Amino acid sequence: MAHITINQYLQQVYEAIDNHEGLFCAELLSFKHPHVANPRLQLASPEDKCQQVLEPPYDEMVAAHLRCTYAVANHDFVEAYKFQTLVVQSFLRAFQSHKEENWALPVMFAVTLDLRIFANNAEQQLQKKGKGQPGEMLEKAAEQLMSCFRVCASDNRAGIEDSKKWGMMFLSNQLFKIYFKINKLHLCKPLIRAIDSSNLKNDYSSAQQVTYKYYVGRKAMFDSDFKLAEDFLSFSFQHCHRSSQKNKRMILIYLLPVKMLLGHMPGQELLRKYDLMQFADVTKAVSEGNLLLLNEALSKHETFFIRCGIFLILEKLKIITYRNLYKKVYLLLRTHQLPLDAFLVALKMMHVEDVDIDEVQCILANLIYMGHIKGYISHQHQKLVVSKQNPFPPLSSVSIS
Amino acid sequence: MKPEEDQRHDKQTVPKGTCQTMCPAHELRARERQKRLHRFEILQGTENERCPRGDPLHAVKEYSRPAAGKDATNPADLRPTPVLLKTVCYLINDVAASPDLHPWTEVYSFVFDRLRAVKQDMIIQRVSGPDCVSILERAVRFLVYASFRLCGEPLGLYDPSINDTHLQENLSWLLDCYAVGTESYPNQEEFQALGLLYNLGSSRAAQHIMELPERLRSGPTIRLALSINRAFRERNPVRLLRLAHKLNFLQYCALHRHLVTCRRDLLLVYSHGYSSRNCCFSLDNLALLLFLDKSLTAQLCRSHGVEVTKDNHVVFSKSAFTEPEQGKTQCKLYHSTVVEKQRDLDVGSIIDGSA
Repeated sequence: MAHITINQYLQQVYEAIDNHEGLFCAELLSFKHPHVANPRLQLASPEDKCQQVLEPPYDEMVAAHLRCTYAVANHDFVEAYKFQTLVVQSFLRAFQSHKEENWALPVMFAVTLDLRIFANNAEQQLQKKGKGQPGEMLEKAAEQLMSCFRVCASDNRAGIEDSKKWGMMFLSNQLFKIYFKINKLHLCKPLIRAIDSSNLKNDYSSAQQVTYKYYVGRKAMFDSDFKLAEDFLSFSFQHCHRSSQKNKRMILIYLLPVKMLLGHMPGQELLRKYDLMQFADVTKAVSEGNLLLLNEALSKHETFFIRCGIFLILEKLKIITYRNLYKKVYLLLRTHQLPLDAFLVALKMMHVEDVDIDEVQCILANLIYMGHIKGYISHQHQKLVVSKQNPFPPLSSVSIS
Repeated sequence: MKPEEDQRHDKQTVPKGTCQTMCPAHELRARERQKRLHRFEILQGTENERCPRGDPLHAVKEYSRPAAGKDATNPADLRPTPVLLKTVCYLINDVAASPDLHPWTEVYSFVFDRLRAVKQDMIIQRVSGPDCVSILERAVRFLVYASFRLCGEPLGLYDPSINDTHLQENLSWLLDCYAVGTESYPNQEEFQALGLLYNLGSSRAAQHIMELPERLRSGPTIRLALSINRAFRERNPVRLLRLAHKLNFLQYCALHRHLVTCRRDLLLVYSHGYSSRNCCFSLDNLALLLFLDKSLTAQLCRSHGVEVTKDNHVVFSKSAFTEPEQGKTQCKLYHSTVVEKQRDLDVGSIIDGSA
């Protein structure tokens, strides 16, 4: 295979298209397949050859693909990206003319995946030379992917079996990858809405759903919708293939903070298994109500947490840590009328900067407002009066906002 | 423009302006003829003539919407970067900061429009680099200042959402310039902090700050802004208002639109925390926490359904708290605390950055 001639290659493509062999055709156009390393196919101007064997727009698509292999062989990703765009565009023209059939979906997956990868590489190459705006290439690639998405989403005529709608989730996932990278999360919304309203949403392949829910979960987390984030990320974690330890770890990086906010602390064993010991001290600090340790743990692993985009979410654990600290004060004093001074002492022990009794009251009032403490503050007596029953309701029963 | 960038755009040549005045001669004549000169642009002494003449030293290119068939790329109508910077300095120092031009709403609408035209020239010519940064910095300061000074003006004279849109656009362009620039920008810390304060509570703004290099992030200005943001996210208005007091005037302007929410949060949280039959919270104390005087504090309480007794005690109650009717809590009423920060500052130095 690796050393077939250009004519043999074109013949194979011709037959794959003619027989509607989507998977084989996809291989012949994919950079995951070894033919791209075949020097006999890496041609600077393969147009004439392609025209002899293939009908338009397939001839253009394949010619662009071959020129792309040529560019990649020369490590010129800006050029490769340009030709891959042509591949996607001519593919899309062919795809649109496939009425009520979807055999070419695997081809679309292959060419759009490569487009995203080349956009990424091209951007890095440009950045190294000090050229181009960050995100420029990826944004252009996203536009191409969006035109594919529109073709898929608007395929309302074909029956379920032959629907192009089966391509929507794959494309969404590619687009999510781009939008997360260029930090334009708001662009995810229309995609999520389109998938949500489609009747196929639970029937896509498990792998696609795992990726999809991973991103939608992260988006929900970013929008502070923690319950939703937990649902999606848990699904993703449970259905992720057990051999994909790396992916499971990535999911956990987001699932853990969400779970912690909802009151579920991860065990040491889980953290060790997935090499996520950065969370160990955070977990310990929150459970113990140890604000000091929490701050230390956050700053110690700051770089990691910031890079993952979870630092701000972890900071939210402070509120739960206050709750746990105050609960300790309550347990120590064993009374339902707690002097406010005791809480001030506790905060000072935790090295909270410039804190005074007014701020203690503000924090307490907020915990009462959120439902973490049942009781009220008596201003006259400078005391927190807590309920005789269940003054610190379990975290899972309190909604976080 | 750097030679590299020239290369990048060589296929779709970027227009380069040749206009050496703030207003292209062609436009000045046209607007003279159409009697569409702004009164700030008219040559002194000709105001009362049948056709007042334009003053080339005061006329500034106006914003015009891009439209089909209109060629916005004619070099004679575009101002090169140094002229754009000069134009912006004129708009800020001689118009916005002028003690003689009234009312300020008109000054604002003139400067706003002309800045918009400056931005359009910049986009068409793909301006970047230090001059671009200087222009954007002044524009952002102007819009931030205006968002405070004109807060509460009738919608016809000042539309906060339009001001906000432009402010966000200029700001995000400015932050992009910082991100790609290899030069060091002395005002970067100030504007990163300003951006966070203006967009308090936004995950995106905070995440952006977190991703800045440690060296920048640990500067005192950004650290203060981050602490304020943290207090906002933790819903700790007491801390927030105390920290806010440490801000300079312009930073306070950027933050000020969030103070309505912040004070409301305080009343909401206290209405729950202190909710009991014999609650009795001193108005003086509450006024201190809110950084308002006593009468404004009482007014704010009442607009949220919080009872204030005759002997100046506040009675918090969970069930009594209400959201004020839309538009009832006028932000402007509660501006008083800021005024003292501005006492010795004039508009020019605030926007110029020398304040």
